[in-house]
Amino acid sequence: MSDTYILKKDHLTPFLRKLKKQNRLIAPVKNSHGDTIFSELSSVDNVQIDLDNQPQNSLKQYFLPQQEVLFSYKAPSATGYEFKPIKASCPSTLYFGVRPCDLAAILYMDVIFLKESKDPTYQQRRRNSVLIGLNCNTPFTNCFCNATRSGPFIDFGYDLQFTDLGDRFLVQVDRAAGQKIVDTLPQFFSPASEDDVKKQYQLFLEARGGFTTQVHVDLATKKLSEGAVSSEVWLELSSRCQDCGGCAYICPTCTCFTIYDQPISDNEGERIRSWDACTFSGFTLMAGGHNPIDRTCQAIEQRFRHKLQYDAQQHGRPSCVGCGRCVGICFGGTDIVRFVNMVSCEEMI
Amino acid sequence: MNILQADLYLPRAAEIKQIIEENSQIKTFALSFCESAFDKSFSYEPGQFMMVSVPHCGEAPISFSSSPLHSGLLELSVRKAGKLTTALHSLKEGDVVGLRGPYGRPFDVDHLAGKNLLFVAGGIGLAPLRSVVNSCIESEEAAASITILYGSRVPSDIAFGEDIKKWQALSTVNCHLTVDQGEPGWQGHIGLVTSLLDQYKNDPAETVAFVCGPPMMISAVISDLSQRGFADENIITTMERHMKCGVGVCRHCHMSGKLVCKDGPVFNLAELKELGEF
Repeated sequence: MSDTYILKKDHLTPFLRKLKKQNRLIAPVKNSHGDTIFSELSSVDNVQIDLDNQPQNSLKQYFLPQQEVLFSYKAPSATGYEFKPIKASCPSTLYFGVRPCDLAAILYMDVIFLKESKDPTYQQRRRNSVLIGLNCNTPFTNCFCNATRSGPFIDFGYDLQFTDLGDRFLVQVDRAAGQKIVDTLPQFFSPASEDDVKKQYQLFLEARGGFTTQVHVDLATKKLSEGAVSSEVWLELSSRCQDCGGCAYICPTCTCFTIYDQPISDNEGERIRSWDACTFSGFTLMAGGHNPIDRTCQAIEQRFRHKLQYDAQQHGRPSCVGCGRCVGICFGGTDIVRFVNMVSCEEMI
Repeated sequence: MNILQADLYLPRAAEIKQIIEENSQIKTFALSFCESAFDKSFSYEPGQFMMVSVPHCGEAPISFSSSPLHSGLLELSVRKAGKLTTALHSLKEGDVVGLRGPYGRPFDVDHLAGKNLLFVAGGIGLAPLRSVVNSCIESEEAAASITILYGSRVPSDIAFGEDIKKWQALSTVNCHLTVDQGEPGWQGHIGLVTSLLDQYKNDPAETVAFVCGPPMMISAVISDLSQRGFADENIITTMERHMKCGVGVCRHCHMSGKLVCKDGPVFNLAELKELGEF
């Protein structure tokens, strides 16, 4: 078993205050509208860190910003065209209260952005990140991370992982940055007892039984791989997709992007990367007007095949992490749970 | 404060040394990198492509049309189709563009020695095949035969005239042209490029066929070749898709679970059938 400690809940604020001295701190904060959002904390006092509700955003924006400058360029004349790497600071950043689904999403992004072509800005942000997770004792209404094997508890990939035991947190260490925190701030940690570990296991069993809906993700993966999803399913989903991209933007693992030039003046500009969505009608549109994707019947096919079929084939697991955020955001009702249910129902007929 | 060496997406400046007007819609740009040390070390293979930057227009993927064995400038042939390519067409010799690459899986040109090679192209589709044809001609390990069948819409659209003249003068190359519609003075063949396939007499089992052109033309030629007994592995094409990153991340060029920029753009028919694309 990995090293396991106890941190008393009363000590959480002083603990975070200490960490904030060395790091930028991102945590789920309840704002004045009552929304829980992963936000940067200017101070750990006078803010409400909310560990009871699911943050509305994932951490995607902190590793893959919605818009970022890749480089700037100058073109003072047709014979002069220069490219200049950007100067950017990326402070050491500590993410606190990261749910297993959002941690799994970051591990997926690591595969996308670091495995083959190393993405320089992602790599720097990731290198300068410390992840302190929080297991989910009670799954939220739309969650189905049990079906995607990315929760409700996770036992790898974090620096430190917290489990709420009532008046204290059980703290597990996985990566070196987590051990370093324990070593440099020993006053906050005491060894966990056997009873604490047993209690955590009990909470895990309860959490695993606490999902309100069963989503048959593996069945959908199987049917997609076998070519057993009928064209009627795609047609119905396509007719209801409103081309808004909300599902892709809210999704912690939707990492498709576009690249374009943003002129600043006639002579200079910036090359920008920004989030994109495979469901957008222009995503595959080629110069000259040809589009290999027919939106009337394929509008959303790539989205579900990529997450449930192609990534499962390529990486051994689907890239949906079961966070359920897209369930709440799609006003056409064509979220991934709806799709998996449609496919499962077909099976039952 | 760190300087991010974002060279994954950072182009290098390249000067347009020469522009050849292939027809009213297609120009060939002969380029060299402004940084001479990089220019000397740069290498590529037929079938690969570059991401080309034009000020304020972003980037577009363009295939090499030159042979890498030709010890000269790299050439990109571009049809005027959208905003970037229109801007590119307005540039002059001496002007500078941005280039990054080379990207993509190339044609497997190492195993063509001693084989019969059939090239079937339509319009701008001859550009990537020109890279293979010329590298096969320049290679020391000769192919058994080279046949080029090239279809254009009308005679005035026939591109790569200089190459065609050169190929037609070579005893080792058979080059046949066709047009969909004649024009006054045209005495050559009229009809779709598939109508030239009857002139190909070599054994399909001993032939590797390369096909590139508009999607409809590729489908028609591939079906025809299959009926004539060409094995799926010996029918090779190169796909065109919208691309943004060129390095297999942004996913704009997705095709049945593969990414054309990384897994392609060159595919054989067996691979395309496995993907359900044919």
